[in-house]
Amino acid sequence: MFRVIEGGPQSMIQDVGRPGYLATGVPPSGAADRFALGIGNLLVGNDPGERYLVGRHPGDAGIEVLLLGLKLEVLKETVVAVTGADLTPTLNGAPLAMWRATRVGPGDIILFQRPRAGARAYLTVAGGVDVPPFAGSRATNLRAVIGGVGGRALRKGDLLGTFPPRRHFQTLEGRRLKPELVPTYGQRWAVRVVLGPQDDLFQADSIATFLNYDWSLSNTSDRMGCRFIGPKLVFKPRPDYLVDQAGSDPSNIVDDTIPVGGIQVPSGLEPIVLHVDGPSLGGYAKIATVISADLRHVGQMRPGEIANFVHVSVDDAVAALRSLESTIVESSIVAG
Amino acid sequence: MFYEEAVYRPLGDLYLTVEFGDELDLLLNFRVIALDAALKQNAIAGITETIPTNRSLGVVYDPFAISYDSAVASIREIERQTSAISELTSRLFTIPIWYNDPWSRECAEAHGFKNNVEYMAEINDCSVETVIQRHAGTQWWVSAVGFQPATYQALPLDPSFKLSAPKYPRPRKTTPDRIVCQAGKITSFYPVVSPGGYQLLGRTPIDLYDPQQRNPVFKDGPVLPCVGDRHLYQPIDESTYWRIRAECDAGTYRYEILEETYRLQGYLDRLAAVRRDVQAGP
Repeated sequence: MFRVIEGGPQSMIQDVGRPGYLATGVPPSGAADRFALGIGNLLVGNDPGERYLVGRHPGDAGIEVLLLGLKLEVLKETVVAVTGADLTPTLNGAPLAMWRATRVGPGDIILFQRPRAGARAYLTVAGGVDVPPFAGSRATNLRAVIGGVGGRALRKGDLLGTFPPRRHFQTLEGRRLKPELVPTYGQRWAVRVVLGPQDDLFQADSIATFLNYDWSLSNTSDRMGCRFIGPKLVFKPRPDYLVDQAGSDPSNIVDDTIPVGGIQVPSGLEPIVLHVDGPSLGGYAKIATVISADLRHVGQMRPGEIANFVHVSVDDAVAALRSLESTIVESSIVAG
Repeated sequence: MFYEEAVYRPLGDLYLTVEFGDELDLLLNFRVIALDAALKQNAIAGITETIPTNRSLGVVYDPFAISYDSAVASIREIERQTSAISELTSRLFTIPIWYNDPWSRECAEAHGFKNNVEYMAEINDCSVETVIQRHAGTQWWVSAVGFQPATYQALPLDPSFKLSAPKYPRPRKTTPDRIVCQAGKITSFYPVVSPGGYQLLGRTPIDLYDPQQRNPVFKDGPVLPCVGDRHLYQPIDESTYWRIRAECDAGTYRYEILEETYRLQGYLDRLAAVRRDVQAGP
């Protein structure tokens, strides 16, 4: 059990997410970095859940911490792990080792001081955070006001209960991720994409620009959409009926499905990667879709960092997902 | 444009889209609905969700269970066997609206735009009263749901419907919840506070999205609108607005929902008549 002393700018409960409701406009939500939350859950003996969007269950819930500021008091002995971004986590003021299970006790203070690498850290706890599930998941969606603690971010005074641990604390303590699997978060990110569905509406040299430019993450980015700053992309001329039906801007289309990872380019300016809380329907041309294995890269970017979009085939994307998921397993963890 | 054959495109590695055309036309939406229904009746292992939109069906699939190529082949086979639907069960919702309400007026003003209903009257060369009469004078067909939970898009079922509006030249940062809006000939809805670019017409006192599911109407989920529903908007005054709002807060409001068989032929006949009139001239 924990007491929230400070919530920070945006800390909230997430699991793998809430698929099944896209046709009602409810996005899947879930951890912006599936790998980090999954490993965090494994470290403390929890269920990492099944795959994003197509898995059958979302696993245990942890806390997603954006950039800094979350400060918790431990109220009861347990085992925790911090994974994902390095937000300078401390335990009673001393560095708290990441990607490793640590025993904590009443009165201990966990604080995320400042971001050093990556944007989102995950705090997992043995048994998982106990908040009521909504439509099968504990994932928070701030805009829809569902999941987590009352559908909102954590704030001062919140008390977070946990489910009973699945294993004895002694067997959990000291477990760590195999060193070769610990990711390094730099300031330049390769983000693989499958082109389409509306890449054919863009001029050919704009596709090349999209794939060759160093796109910088804008600070108006969140779990709904991540905006990238760079050169204007140009559309081909369109038939007149679309001006009337879809809208006067050349980027307007008659609304269709936006996948999680879809990249809209309103007016050809600032491509937006729609992320886990993004809309399922929209009226701007989408140049490409970020592959599901690389959504976590976008989720870990900080404003000003660079994305390089790399074109791959659907088969390559599935292979990348297979490779990612094959690491979110117990055999990736070494005993303490 | 209606494509001669449906176009299949990958949306990354977990979705694909089956696209019937690129324009806004109820006939395209009927094809989407027909395929969606056929895929629900003939479940394909590995397909986990379908998302009907105006002109395309989004399909979510598990690539470890079915490959993109196999999913396309299986869907195509069903699509080819799917005949056009002639009727379907459709719910008719009567939705009260306080048109030209103070929240919409304030929101437009705060973003530097004039009263949207007055603006629509001006560009459609009619009075404010006519804007409201026209908007409330046709049934609307829900052709897509998405963007935010319970945001829908609806098309007028009266083929001679005359009221249109451009989107905002730059989107608003925020819109109050429960605002009904229009752009082009599409009516849409802001269930929760959200950014947006449609013209604000009015505010409904009733919830179409309620995560707390306070009213029995939400027993199956927090979202009411569904593709294939019809809406009729009913102008109300301020006092009615507040009376209904209080009933919604108490969970006692009785939603007016009529479940009927909707026959598409009626729409097609009206459409043909309107087209004949257009050809015949005044």
